[in-house]
Amino acid sequence: MTTDDTHAKGTQALIARLVTQAPPPRPLAHPARRALGWLLVALGFGAAMVWVIGPRPDLAERLVDARFMLEQGAALAMGIAAAIAALALTIPGASALWRLLPVGPGVLWLGMLSVGCLRDWWQWGAVGLRLTPDPACFGYIALIGSLPLLVLYTMLRRGVPLAPRLSLALAALAAAGLGNVALRFFHMQDAALMVLVWQGGSVALLALMAGLCGRRLLPWAPRAA
Amino acid sequence: MRQAQAGDAAAYAGLLSEVALRMRRLVRRRAPWLSSEDAEDVVQDILLSLHQARATWDPARPFMPWMVTIARARLADNARRHARRLAIDLAASDLAETFCDRPTNSTSDAVVTMMSLRKAMQDLSPAERQAVDLLRLREMSLTEAAEASGSTVAALKVAVHRAMRKIRATLGRD
Repeated sequence: MTTDDTHAKGTQALIARLVTQAPPPRPLAHPARRALGWLLVALGFGAAMVWVIGPRPDLAERLVDARFMLEQGAALAMGIAAAIAALALTIPGASALWRLLPVGPGVLWLGMLSVGCLRDWWQWGAVGLRLTPDPACFGYIALIGSLPLLVLYTMLRRGVPLAPRLSLALAALAAAGLGNVALRFFHMQDAALMVLVWQGGSVALLALMAGLCGRRLLPWAPRAA
Repeated sequence: MRQAQAGDAAAYAGLLSEVALRMRRLVRRRAPWLSSEDAEDVVQDILLSLHQARATWDPARPFMPWMVTIARARLADNARRHARRLAIDLAASDLAETFCDRPTNSTSDAVVTMMSLRKAMQDLSPAERQAVDLLRLREMSLTEAAEASGSTVAALKVAVHRAMRKIRATLGRD
């Protein structure tokens, strides 16, 4: 018997083991449908956190402010799009265009905040663009995004780690995006530059950090399994 | 695959055997530097990944693009690991040449180490033993060792890597 035959025999033994090992799993639903389930959990958790921390006193005014609502809508859309993209990236053979899904809402969100910066500068001059430290944003976004990220991470693990870094970065972008939406319902900070730097920066930083851990957190299953 | 997802074990076994056959050809074409053992390892990795990803296949979509995507990703992952392994080996051999490791051991320590080393060498396959002999003991370059053994540089790199791993494991155990 040649060495090649011995190796092929090992593969046949593996096949025999795989066939008897586990019952066929239920096929996964479409990424958009799975993202909808995730969204319900994330929104529920975000709403609970707003309730626990206490909504901002001027929330009623903010809810009828078109600029505030458009910014919130864009951030929410970016979060949902990022969740769909992250889930789609774990499906072999799915179109590579899925990864571009959050680009549109993301550009819209950042664009609106940038236009807000210009408007603040036009209205109040240099004072409108004053930047003061607000590191609490990062903590709040990380806290509110923690459970949604954990849920999305569990969902990603049911797929295939084809692009683990990008998948996890998108998952964190989705969770932090929703965390940012919830944050603005209790955090009194609407100066565009402050939102852009501290909230946008926190979302980007969390996505980057998660992306760097992608290979470690979404590995291929070991052969011993 | 549709039958396999419906629970037909025989259909699933047939499918995996067919996939193994095709993947063996693909791996040999895409990664000719791998030894037959390593190539078969990659084939098995692909089969395992395919098995674990069964739930992601949508019966409404074609099977081949789904399978090829998994195979490509697994090949890329394997190539990355292979490159990292070689880099570690090269770095380790550089370290061994840079630092003269001659601690003040007692004679009994030296004897134990020697016995463990001899035992570790006995556990190696003939190809691995030859690779250690040429590259580490006679300090030949990879090209010289390949010429002397009639093997290839890639095969020697893999053989010496495996040998060093086995030796380290045996010495660690002892």
